[in-house]
Amino acid sequence: MAISLAASRVLIVDDNEFNRKSLALMIRRAGLTQIDFAENGEDGLRKVDSFRPDLVLLDVSMPVMDGLEMCRRLRERLTHEELPILFQTALDSDEEQVRCFAAGGSDFISKPIKPGECVARVRHQLEKRKLFTDLANFRGRVERELKHAKAMQLSLLPEPKQLEAIASRYELVLDAHFETSSELGGDFWNVYPLDSHRVAFLLVDFAGHGITAAINTFRLHTLIDRFPMQHVPPSEWLAGLNLALKDVLPTGQFATAFFGILDLHTDTLTYASAGAPNPVVGIAGELRLLDSAGLVLGASRRAVYADRSLRLPRGGCLFLYSDALIECSGPGPDNGPIGQDGVPGLLRGAMAANRARPLGPLLERFYARTSLPLRDDLTAVWIARRA
Amino acid sequence: MDFQVRKDGESIELLLSGRLEFTDHDRLHDVIELLETRGVRRFIIDAKDLTFIDSAGIGMLLILQDETEQRNIKMIVRKLHGDVKRSIDLARIGEIITIEE
Repeated sequence: MAISLAASRVLIVDDNEFNRKSLALMIRRAGLTQIDFAENGEDGLRKVDSFRPDLVLLDVSMPVMDGLEMCRRLRERLTHEELPILFQTALDSDEEQVRCFAAGGSDFISKPIKPGECVARVRHQLEKRKLFTDLANFRGRVERELKHAKAMQLSLLPEPKQLEAIASRYELVLDAHFETSSELGGDFWNVYPLDSHRVAFLLVDFAGHGITAAINTFRLHTLIDRFPMQHVPPSEWLAGLNLALKDVLPTGQFATAFFGILDLHTDTLTYASAGAPNPVVGIAGELRLLDSAGLVLGASRRAVYADRSLRLPRGGCLFLYSDALIECSGPGPDNGPIGQDGVPGLLRGAMAANRARPLGPLLERFYARTSLPLRDDLTAVWIARRA
Repeated sequence: MDFQVRKDGESIELLLSGRLEFTDHDRLHDVIELLETRGVRRFIIDAKDLTFIDSAGIGMLLILQDETEQRNIKMIVRKLHGDVKRSIDLARIGEIITIEE
């Protein structure tokens, strides 16, 4: 890769005026015109700050502060970690060269300086720096964009205030945790007040994670508004969503989903599921897994879903989660995945610690045995009817 | 995930082992290439040594189903067991893919 050197700034640090001039002459011939000078390490450090060079040509032996010390001090500062520093060494000895590298030098040129070699090494270091800067800029831009996208994704979820209002309106305790395995994720959940006595819960997990899965959660969010929930059973609502997703998702992409409506007048939870992990239901202190088998969303136009109903009276609870909870593991043989059958036990332990709000202790127990970063996105939702 | 391939006349048998998951997506291309073998009518996936499948792994099975259908090849998944069978049953993938015991 050939870059124009004209825009690059070079600082020459040498106590010998003749050396400074001859080095400047060599690199000026190669097209480098922005050159500044320093006579020792201390002077050099000041010039690095004021002149902001892209490369330093550094002599080793100098009065006041030598080149090795100047180099070490530069490397201690984060902003100069990647600044190319080319030593000019008088001794062509292995030991001297090792000391230059140990001090943080990028490369060295042996004296007497040969113009061709000097320019080639300077060019090489500047090109490396440009590549590094380009990459760092790219990374910075992507990080900023992902941060914005992450905020957008979080805005799809219910806000704490909103959750509190819904919980108080329907006399519930609601607690939720949402965490992506990278900046963005493929999980989605929300709660929807239907009328004075019915409230709906939806948890969707798109296959995979990262940006592709996250884009699907935005698609889903737009689709949800197209399907009113008030007057259809959960199975029918999921079937509608399935068709809409099938139209937009490429083959191999799909989502698991749980959609349930809690009716406070009849104390009934009616739900349909598209292969979501088995939710846990708790009634009168007894926890059990709910059947949640069902064809995943977006895989087939022929998918049919079933409505399942159960009594969920006051004091009853429902725990929904995405598969990261049961599939993630930690180091060592004792920290295998919790697995589907381990969830009631995990929840029971957490309820012993905090009966009203077990989500906190449950996650503490989960994280104590799980390696971070998570391998998949984690969503967990605790829904309890107040006694 | 690791795989071995057995070719026998009109059949290709893919023996999967280990974990079929998100990180295996790049290998899918190699498997799809197998379907280009001339004269193939049946594509059998043997899951006897498969110990784990996640949702991305299920997605790969759905892609293979689609790729085989396009080529008029019959795809059959065999010998599912344990957690893998449980995951596939939960997602009702049997409604789309032919599964044999």
